[in-house]
Amino acid sequence: MLYCAILRSPHAAADILNIDLTPALAVSGVVDAVTVDDFSGSRYVNYGPAYSDRHAMAKDKVRFYGEEVAAVAAESVQAAWLGVRAISIGYKEHAAAPTVEAALAAGAPDIHPRRDKLSSNVVQSVDVQLGDTAGAFDRAALVVEGDYEHGVVWPVCMETNAAVASFDRATGKLEVWCGTQAPFFVRKELAQVIGLELKNIIVRSVAIGGGFGGKSQAPEQIAIAALLSKRTGRPVKVVLSRDEEYIAGKSDHAKRMSLRTAVDAEGNILARAVDALVDNGAYTHMGPVYVSAVRQRTANLYRVGTAGIRAKLVYTNKLPGGSYRGMGAPGIIWAIESQIDEIAEKLNLDPVDYRLRIANQAGDVTPLGWKITSCGLSECLTKAAERIGWKDKKGKLPPYRGIGIASMIHPSGSVLYAEGNFSNIAIELHPDGRMTVFTQTADAGTWQNTVLAQLVAETLGVTMEGISVVHMDTELGPDDLGSAASRVTFVTGNAAIAAGKNLVSKLRERIASEWGIGADEVKYEAGVFSNARDKRRELTLPQAAQRFGSLRVEGRYEIGLERPDPITGYGNYAAAYAFGAQAVEVEVDRGTGHVTILNIASAQDVGRVINPTALEGQTYGGIMQGVGMALSEDVVFENGRPVNRSLINYRVPRIRDTPNISIDFIETADALGPFGAKAAGEPTINATVAAVANAVADAVGVRFHKLPITPEAVLAAIRKRNQQQPQLKPYLRAYNAEIATVRKLYPAMFPVMKKAGKYLAQPRPQVREFETAIANTLDDAIAQAAATEGSRFLGGGTDLLPGIRQGVYGPSKLISYRGVPGVREIVTTDTAVRVGAAVTINGLINDELILEKFPGLTKGASLIATSQIRNRATVAGDLCQEKRCWFFRSATPCYRFSGPACPCYAVLGDNRHHSILGAGRCAAPCVADLAPMLSCLGAEVVTAGSGTTRRIPVEQLYVWAGETVLNPAELITSIEIPKPQARSAFHYEKYARWQGDFAEASAAVRLVGTAKRIEEASIVLGGVAPKPA
Amino acid sequence: MARDSKTPTSKSGTTAVSLSVNGVDRKLVVGQHESIADVLRDRLDLRGTKIGCNSGECGACTVLLDGVAVCSCVTLAATVSESSVVTVEGLAREGELQELQQAFMEHGAFQCGFCTSGMLMSAYALLSQQRKPSDEAIRTALQGNICRCTGYVQILNAVRDAAARS
Ligand code: FES
Ligand code: FES
Repeated sequence: MLYCAILRSPHAAADILNIDLTPALAVSGVVDAVTVDDFSGSRYVNYGPAYSDRHAMAKDKVRFYGEEVAAVAAESVQAAWLGVRAISIGYKEHAAAPTVEAALAAGAPDIHPRRDKLSSNVVQSVDVQLGDTAGAFDRAALVVEGDYEHGVVWPVCMETNAAVASFDRATGKLEVWCGTQAPFFVRKELAQVIGLELKNIIVRSVAIGGGFGGKSQAPEQIAIAALLSKRTGRPVKVVLSRDEEYIAGKSDHAKRMSLRTAVDAEGNILARAVDALVDNGAYTHMGPVYVSAVRQRTANLYRVGTAGIRAKLVYTNKLPGGSYRGMGAPGIIWAIESQIDEIAEKLNLDPVDYRLRIANQAGDVTPLGWKITSCGLSECLTKAAERIGWKDKKGKLPPYRGIGIASMIHPSGSVLYAEGNFSNIAIELHPDGRMTVFTQTADAGTWQNTVLAQLVAETLGVTMEGISVVHMDTELGPDDLGSAASRVTFVTGNAAIAAGKNLVSKLRERIASEWGIGADEVKYEAGVFSNARDKRRELTLPQAAQRFGSLRVEGRYEIGLERPDPITGYGNYAAAYAFGAQAVEVEVDRGTGHVTILNIASAQDVGRVINPTALEGQTYGGIMQGVGMALSEDVVFENGRPVNRSLINYRVPRIRDTPNISIDFIETADALGPFGAKAAGEPTINATVAAVANAVADAVGVRFHKLPITPEAVLAAIRKRNQQQPQLKPYLRAYNAEIATVRKLYPAMFPVMKKAGKYLAQPRPQVREFETAIANTLDDAIAQAAATEGSRFLGGGTDLLPGIRQGVYGPSKLISYRGVPGVREIVTTDTAVRVGAAVTINGLINDELILEKFPGLTKGASLIATSQIRNRATVAGDLCQEKRCWFFRSATPCYRFSGPACPCYAVLGDNRHHSILGAGRCAAPCVADLAPMLSCLGAEVVTAGSGTTRRIPVEQLYVWAGETVLNPAELITSIEIPKPQARSAFHYEKYARWQGDFAEASAAVRLVGTAKRIEEASIVLGGVAPKPA
Repeated sequence: MARDSKTPTSKSGTTAVSLSVNGVDRKLVVGQHESIADVLRDRLDLRGTKIGCNSGECGACTVLLDGVAVCSCVTLAATVSESSVVTVEGLAREGELQELQQAFMEHGAFQCGFCTSGMLMSAYALLSQQRKPSDEAIRTALQGNICRCTGYVQILNAVRDAAARS
C-alpha cells in the first residue's frame, strides 16, 4: 500500500509560476508525485458540461485556499508528507475576491475568464416572473420586505473523507473503496479526469461515517489516489485530516436574499419576490441547485399567488460549495417564515392561525407548477402547536422567553437530474433461501439499507432476517444515481418493490412449468407458492430457492414526470411533496445573549412511516443540525481562508444542547410512494432554523437578518433595542491610551505589515515525528531539557499534541515528567496546599482536601474542557497552554507566530473571542481557567531549573497569553495555594459558548469578611485580556 | 514572489512498552510520537477506535486508560507503559454484547456509527463509576463526544436505559 499526501494552496488567489517535483522524488520512500499535467482527462463534469470549470488539480492558478496543487505517493504516511513538503513551488499571489460583494464590484479580479460567461464572476443568472408579480405588489394591502443573509456551513461528517484506489495493470480495472454517497458520480468523474472507461472503474462497498450531502460530489482526493495507483500499479490510500476536510471538503453555499411578500387585507399571499445572490465559491459543484432551492420555496411554501425570482450565482475565491442537508432550503425558508411572522403581527393574527389559513392543500397547483397530491401541512401545524403548548405560551411567557413556529415543503423523488429519474436494484435469491439486495445507493448512516430490506421483505411477505443488503458496489449493483436529494426511500424503494415483484413472477413461471399449470394459477402469499386448484401443492420461498438454485432479478422504477422548464424552472418537480412544521421554545440570557433551546416539537407529513426508529433518529439529527445552523455554525473567513477550523470553534451541537424534542409523524399515504412513504430524513432540517429564529425574535422583540444568531448578535440587538450604547472610548482610560492609538493607526499599518510579513515571516514548525523521553527524577528531567534544544515538558499532552499537529509547537523532544516523585500528589504544608504540577484536572476536582479547603476551586475546575480532557490535562499544563486565537491556530502568518514584522489579524478581523482589555501587539486572551482562579487565591508556582528553584506568584507568571516567564529548562513542580483565611469565600464563574469550551469571559472572586462587611475582595478576570486581569 | 519554506524536521525514536489491552498483555515497540489511537489501529489492528479530529475535540477515539475515559489521539503510547487500555472491542464478552451496547442497539442510538465506539466508552466509564447517574452526569460525561447524526436523543435514552437495567 502506498500513502498519498496532497500539497494545497496557501493562497486564495495566485498564479502558479513553477512546480518542481524532483526534490519530492528524492525523498526516501517517495514513489511518485503528480500535478494536474499528469491527468490525461479533462475537467470534472459536476453540474453538467455548461458549468464544468474544475480540473483534477489546480491548473496554472489557484482559486481558493486549500486547493489541490500536487500530490505524492510514498511507502509511509510520513514519507508522503515529507515528500509534499519538499516540492518546490513558486506562486505569484494576487488580489482575491473572497466575498460576493468583492466579486461583483467594479474591477474585481476575474476568477474564471470564460467566453460564455454573463458578466464578470457571474456563473448563472436567473430572472423569472411566474405571473404578474409587479401587478400583485401594486394591488397589495401590505408589503413586507427585508434582507437576509447567511454564511457557509460545513457538513462536518465525523469521519473525514478517505479512499483506497487500486489499479490492476493486468486487467486495466480500477477498484475504489471510499466513503461516498454516490458511487455513480465517483465513476463518472473518475472516468472523465483519469481517462478510463466507465466499465473499468468499480466502486466497492464500505461503511460511511456520515454524509449529509457532503460526500455526494466530485471526489478530488479519490481521483488523485486513483491516478497515483494507475501510475504506480499499487494500491494507494488517502485520508484527509480534519483540517483538510474543513479547507477543501464540500460545504454548503452562503447566500444573501432580498425578499418581499405582498398580501391582501386578509393576509392571502398575492406574490413573493426574491432577489438572491448565491456564493458559488471558486468552482461550480451544486450552485445551480441552490439557486433552484430558492426558487422552489419562494414559489411554493404556503399558497402563493405568484412569484418572481431573480438570482445570481457568483464565483468567489473561497472553498467551492458542495451540498449539505436541505440544499439551501433552510436559509430561504427562514427568510420566508420571518416575513410570515411579520405579516401575522401586522394583521394582528396569531402566527399559527395565520399559517393555517394560507397552508398548502392537497389538489393545489403552485405557481411553479408543483402538483400537490397529498398534503398534511395543516395537521402538522396544528400538531406542532399543540405539542409546544402554543395556546398557553404565545404572548404569555416571561421576558426573554419566546416561542416560534415554521413550516417546510420538500420534493420527494424529484426529477432534477436526468440520471436521478430512475433507480435499479437487484435481488439475488440464494439456494439456502437467503436473499441479498444489491444497490448502488450508499447508506451513510440513514439506515437506508435497513429500509430497503424492509421494503423487499414487505413485498415478499417474509421477515427481514434472511435479507442482507450490499450497497455502493457498482459491479454487483445495477445503475442508480446514489443517495442524495432525499431520493432513496422513494425512488430506490419503489425499485426494490418492483424487484420483489419480479422475483415472485420469475419463480411463479418456473413453478408453473414444473407443476404443469399456467403462471397465473400459481398463487403467492406470505412466502408460500400454491396451486389455486390443488391445495396439496405448495412450495415455500426457501424450498423454491433450493429447487431452482441461485436466481437474480432486477427491479426498476422511473419517475414518470417531465423535467421542469430549464429556463423558468416551471414544472412538477417531484412525484410527491413532503411537508412539516416545527415549533420551538427558547430562553435568552440577557447578560450574554446566549440562546438556550428548551423545547422543540416537530410534526412531519411523511406519507407513511417505514421504520419508526430510523425516522425518529433522522428527525432528531436533522433538527439538531438545524439548531447548529441557526445558532452557531458559520465558517469564519480571513481573506478567503477559513480560520475556525476546529471542532472547538466551529461549533456543532453537543449533547448538552439537546433539548426536549417531541416528534409526530402525520401519515397521508402518498399514492406513488413505496407503501405510501415520502422523503423524510433530509428535510427535517428545513424548518428548524426558521422556527428557532422566530422563537428568538419572540423572546427579545427583535428580528434577525443574519445567521447564525450568535450570542454577540443577540446581545447587540438587545442593547440596540434598549438604546444602550456601551461607552467604548478606550482612549479616555489612561492604561489603554497607547493601545488605543495603535488601534487607530492599524487600518493604515495592516496592509503594509501583511506585505512585509510575507517576506519576513518565520516559517511554522512542521513536526510530525519527535522523540519522547520519560524522566523519573527531577534532575533527570531538567538535565534532559537542558541538553536538548527545543525540548518541551509533557504534561497530559492535550494542548501540546494538537498544537504540534497544527504547526503551533515544534519540539524536538518531549519530556514526560509524570514519574517524578511528588508531582502527582496533593498535600498540605503549614501554610498552604501543595498541588503537584502533574495532578490532572479531574484529580484536582476529585480531591477531598481541595473540596474541603477550596470548594470554589473544585467547582470552577469542573468547568474546564470535557471529561476525557480533564482526565489527562494537568494543572501545570493548563497554566502553560498556548493561546487559542483562531488566526494563530489556523496557520495565519501573524505577529505572534511569524514575528514582529507581521500584523495581528484580530485587530481588524473577526475578533469576537479576543481580548477586550490590554491587548497590545497580540490580542489573544489568556484562556487558562486555572490562571484567574489560582491568581485570585494568591497561589505561587514552584519551579525547578538547573540548580535553582523559584517561587513565582501566578499573577506574575505571564508575560503574554501563552507565554510565561519560565526558562526553557525550567519545570513547574507544584503550585502552592495559601490556606484559606477565616471568613473567606471563593467562587469562579465562566461563560463559554458551550460547556467545555474556552472562556469568553470568566471571573474568580475571593471575599473576606462577614455578610455585613466585606473587608477584602479580590477579583481576577479570565478570557478577556492577554494575562489574567 | 514568495517562496514557501521547506524545513521539514523529522526525528523519532522507538520505545518498548507493555500494555494490557482488553485484558491481554502486550509487549510492543512503538514510535515515540505515536498516540494510543495510532498504536491500537495500526499496530494492533483494533480499528473500533476511530479518529475524527486527532486533536482531542470530538471524542471518537475515547478509550479507557486505567479505568478512566481519555482521548487516545492525544495520549502518547510511549508514556503509558504498564497501563491498561480498554477499547470498544473489549466490551462484548464471548460474543455477548455488553448491556450498554445492547441498549444502543435497541434505542437506535447510532446512525453512521462513527461516533459510537467513543460514545460507548465514555458512557461505560461513567456507568462503571456511577451506577445510577443523573441526566446531568450523563450529559457531562458525553459532552466531549460529538455525534453529527443522531441529535443525541436516542443516545441519552440508551444510556439512561442501560443504567436503569444494571
Ligand atoms: S479523534 Fe481523538 S478526540 Fe477526536
Ligand atoms: S452516528 Fe454518525 S456521528 Fe454519531
